[in-house]
Amino acid sequence: MLTMLEEVVLLAVDEHTGNLRSAREFSTAYALVGAVFFDLALARKLDTDTESIQIIDRTPTGNATLDRVLQLMDSKPQLTTVREWIEHIFHQRGDLEGEALASLTAQGIIRHEKSKLLWIIDIERFPLVNNVPQQDVRQRLRDTVLSDGIPDTRDIMLVSIAEPCGLLGYVLTDAQHQARRQRIQMLCGLETISRKVTAAIASLDATMRQAMSRVV
Amino acid sequence: MIQVTQEVRSGWQVLSVTGRADGECADALEAALKSAVETNPKVAADFSALDYISSAGLRAVLQAARAAEGRQTEFAVCSLSPPVKKVFDMSGLHHVLRIHGELPC
Repeated sequence: MLTMLEEVVLLAVDEHTGNLRSAREFSTAYALVGAVFFDLALARKLDTDTESIQIIDRTPTGNATLDRVLQLMDSKPQLTTVREWIEHIFHQRGDLEGEALASLTAQGIIRHEKSKLLWIIDIERFPLVNNVPQQDVRQRLRDTVLSDGIPDTRDIMLVSIAEPCGLLGYVLTDAQHQARRQRIQMLCGLETISRKVTAAIASLDATMRQAMSRVV
Repeated sequence: MIQVTQEVRSGWQVLSVTGRADGECADALEAALKSAVETNPKVAADFSALDYISSAGLRAVLQAARAAEGRQTEFAVCSLSPPVKKVFDMSGLHHVLRIHGELPC
């Protein structure tokens, strides 16, 4: 089974060109930190309540990215809130996207192509080798958003990470996205981690707007 | 730690949950609730003596509700203690689950 981080990064791969869709760069970076926290929660390593985050099991998961983050968290017991940890991992995140792409390549789901534009600019693409996992992720997202049933935990997490990354727009039509806005907002609010990711993104957006207005 | 006791009242299987529903107990809570919804047509979870619920605990309740929906079992979450109600309200779970102020039986 793919990790939440891998599923979100796979969703960002354009199925026709192999290019990475990254409409909102900083939002995506925050959301990927949230995806790692969800992976650790699903592995029963972390638990959260309305504000705080606790490590409940320090044993490694066997996934290098998750274990690196778990180890980092274990080394900083002074940080206790979800918000503090999102900010901290955001600044220490390394290359979460790159690690997920390498793992997807190793699993034979995508391949890594490098080329040059005008002999100077490096271009990287990640064409799908096996499109079934991406189709599965897309279908789960569609089903979760378009139905009115009680969603699966993993699918709630997936929606709440895909939305701030701007990736739901590649799965739903504009009309579907608009019509199901209330459902999407409800799903994004169910988990503390995604609520805090959304708050962190909103705070970053406000800071950037403020900085831009000073420049102008 | 959580304790789950069960009794039948007016056709409802009532599970009274006591203690803290956190990451360490979430599996036990989910198993108890799921087992009840798989074997009874009407299940009520009484959370009046539940002192604390974490995200893992909420997920356990949600998964049980999902199992109930799949089997067309009536599943009611009832009598939330104030700290637990606060968590349910913040998460918006009342949009997804049937939450009752009191037991329906």
